[in-house]
Amino acid sequence: MMVSLHEQQSESLIHSLEQEKGVNMKENVASMIVFLLLLFLNIRLLKGQSPPGKPFIFKCRSPEKETFTCWWRPGADGGLPTNYTLTYHKEGETITHECPDYKTGGPNSCYFSKKHTSIWTIYIITVNATNQMGSSVSDPRYVDVTYIVEPDPPVNLTLEVKHPEDRKPYLWVKWLPPTLVDVRSGWLTLQYEIRLKPEKAAEWETHFAGQQTQFKILSLYPGQKYLVQVRCKPDHGFWSVWSPESSIQIPNDFTMKDITVWIFVAVLSTIICLIMVWAVALKGYSMVTCIFPPVPGPKIKGFDTHLLEKGKSEELLSAFGCQDFPPTADCEDLLVEFLEVDDSEDQQLMPAHSKEHSGPGMKPTDLDPDNDSGRGSCDSPSLLSEKCEEPQANPSTFHTPEVIEQPEKPKANVTHTWDPQTISLVGKMPYLSVNGSKSSTWPLLQPGQHNTNSPYHNIADMCKLATSLDKIDKDALQSSKTTEAAGEEKATKQREVESSHSKAEQDTGWLLPKEKPPFISPKPLDYVEIHKVNKDGALSLLLKQKENGDQTGKAGTPETSKEYAKVSRVMDNNILVLVQDPGAQNVALFEESTKEAPPSPSQNQAEKDLSSFSTAPSDCRLQQGGLDYLDPACFMHSLH
Amino acid sequence: MNMSKVYKANVCKRENRKIADFLWSGVFPASITTMDSKWSRRTAGSLLLLLVSNLLLCKSTASLPICPSGAVNCQVSLRDLFDRAVILSHHIHKLSSEMFNEFDKRYTQGRGFITKAINSCHTSSLSTPEDKEQAQQIHHEDLLNMVLRVLRSWNDPLYHLVTEVRGMQEAPDAILSKAIEIEEQNRRLLEGMEKIVGQVHPGIKENEIYSVWSGLPSLQMADEDARLFAFYNLLHCLRRDSHKIDNYLKLLKCRIIYDSNC
Repeated sequence: MMVSLHEQQSESLIHSLEQEKGVNMKENVASMIVFLLLLFLNIRLLKGQSPPGKPFIFKCRSPEKETFTCWWRPGADGGLPTNYTLTYHKEGETITHECPDYKTGGPNSCYFSKKHTSIWTIYIITVNATNQMGSSVSDPRYVDVTYIVEPDPPVNLTLEVKHPEDRKPYLWVKWLPPTLVDVRSGWLTLQYEIRLKPEKAAEWETHFAGQQTQFKILSLYPGQKYLVQVRCKPDHGFWSVWSPESSIQIPNDFTMKDITVWIFVAVLSTIICLIMVWAVALKGYSMVTCIFPPVPGPKIKGFDTHLLEKGKSEELLSAFGCQDFPPTADCEDLLVEFLEVDDSEDQQLMPAHSKEHSGPGMKPTDLDPDNDSGRGSCDSPSLLSEKCEEPQANPSTFHTPEVIEQPEKPKANVTHTWDPQTISLVGKMPYLSVNGSKSSTWPLLQPGQHNTNSPYHNIADMCKLATSLDKIDKDALQSSKTTEAAGEEKATKQREVESSHSKAEQDTGWLLPKEKPPFISPKPLDYVEIHKVNKDGALSLLLKQKENGDQTGKAGTPETSKEYAKVSRVMDNNILVLVQDPGAQNVALFEESTKEAPPSPSQNQAEKDLSSFSTAPSDCRLQQGGLDYLDPACFMHSLH
Repeated sequence: MNMSKVYKANVCKRENRKIADFLWSGVFPASITTMDSKWSRRTAGSLLLLLVSNLLLCKSTASLPICPSGAVNCQVSLRDLFDRAVILSHHIHKLSSEMFNEFDKRYTQGRGFITKAINSCHTSSLSTPEDKEQAQQIHHEDLLNMVLRVLRSWNDPLYHLVTEVRGMQEAPDAILSKAIEIEEQNRRLLEGMEKIVGQVHPGIKENEIYSVWSGLPSLQMADEDARLFAFYNLLHCLRRDSHKIDNYLKLLKCRIIYDSNC
């Protein structure tokens, strides 16, 4: 039993084992086969070979809508040489064609010529990649040539800078359509676009040019190098690439004209400014006085500011001519100065000159005895000469009389009425205002008129006048030709002087008499009453009514402070030579005109003229301490 | 037929008519009514002289009467007509292209409808030239007729396109407005082309051949996909045909007006 059980167990065991064994065997075989297969594959893979990957058609393009090209990108190589074939078929056809041209478009391309191109037709294109291991086919690409037009860029881009007349220069850009595109038949219509920039600039300036093949650029920077490019687009296609750059140098002379004009304008304006500044500088003073006339200082009659400064109150007060201060109205009447008029024996200047020459700087002791009418030590000529010496003597005027003297000597008619001192004084008068100097006007002294009533005569001005006449006379003499008679000569001289005077622009008060002043017979000295001294320092002279009568009458005023001036001489043309008579207080000096002429009509004129007497910047007067009148006290002081 | 001469004759007639109108309506009444007749008489005289001389000159240039006698609207020159036609056709194609792109982007992108839209245009039966050589070989009259045929073939589809696009849910405004404008321009272009044909070779009244469109049921299908495909197909064919018309007209313009020297 045990044995049977064991035998049974063992028999069952063997059975199961045998079954298992069978199964295992099958499995083993299967696995073996699988294993072997895998082995083979591994070997293959280890070598690196596989069928090609799928190519991909990435671009198809037509440059002129007559041909087109497609390019593909190959897939994985597979390690084996791969052959690519492109096949296509057209819409509405069933025939499959192969690519007619693999070369023209480059590697991995297919070029469809005109013969093989149909417009408005869909092409279904595929690429086969085949190698030893296998092949693969790309996805089909549906291409309609109508919508893949992309032309080449335009050609023959030319640049030119044009300079039209009367207009600004511009850049003229010209180009031609790409060679393959047929624009003439209208198959394609192109539109253009250009862009330009200066060489160094970062951004392009783009302009749409439409269908024209030329373009004008107006806004250019001169002196820069410009780069220009152009591209085109068919009416329903894609823009081409930009053409190669074309460059041009813009010439610099765009603005040369402007620069020249501006430089010229600047220089001109600078010159004008300089001229104006110079003119202003020269005439500045007169212009300023025109605009802002100088305000005359306050002057009180007979009031000497210098005396005030010095502190001589007595003299100051005495200057007013009255005892009381403030001066009353009567003072004017009391200011009487009598001018001693030396009735001129001769009225000729020349002899005066000669005399002048003979005594340049003679002292008062050489006075003409005839003229001695109480002149004191303050002899005006000498004093004046002293005063007038300071200012620059005019040697020319002084010396010329010398020259003239000689020829005139023989003229015996002429008598010298001039004191040498006066002559010298005259000669030394520096200030000659014949030519109408701005500052003085000659008081009008009519011939034969005794505008002596009112006009004030300033000694200095008299001096000046004398000098001027001196000069005039000199001129007259120089221009005169032969001289025969003194009278003739005198006439010529007078005429000359007249003419020269008339030339003078100023209002010469001392008008040379038109008529020949007759030779003044010697007369006793006349006195002229100085009526008043106006603020300008002019003397207002009154003709004494009675000639010889009231010499002392008027002079007999008890005021000790009266000053008188004595006319030492009357010159030819009614010019007074006043002589200071400090000593004789009551000496009245008269001015006698050579002619008995009605005084009144001219008086006003003379007054007017005198009143227009501006203060002459004569040093003489200044020397006198700015006195506007003859102050015997001053002279006295100067003498001592 | 020498079109440039015809054109010149047309210009002559037009200018002379202008002068005559000016004389008749402007100067003569002025001379009659106002009494400063001297000036107006002078101008009238000079203008008359000008008119007469022009007529004499014009006689010499015109070899063929461009407009058949009795034609009412023969005033606009051929050049102007062609210019207007080209502008219209260019505009129509531009709109069609935009419309198609918008539709595709919005509804059918990536669905491969193009594969199915092969050879499905209703106008493909019309034997239109397929490339430049063929187009240049065709006589311009035949080409004009071809254009007319294509234009006529699209009258119906365009009308239905508008109504159907309007009926679409979420009707896209851009597409709808474009469709409406295309339809209107197409009608105008058709009129212009008929005028051109009347000028170029008058007298021949061709029987109106055109392709019948039968795609309306597909536009109204319930199946959305099918419907979309129908629209896609229609728009695709419209884009293509409008480009054809535009191209043909530009060819004709350059040939007729500019003597192939555009």
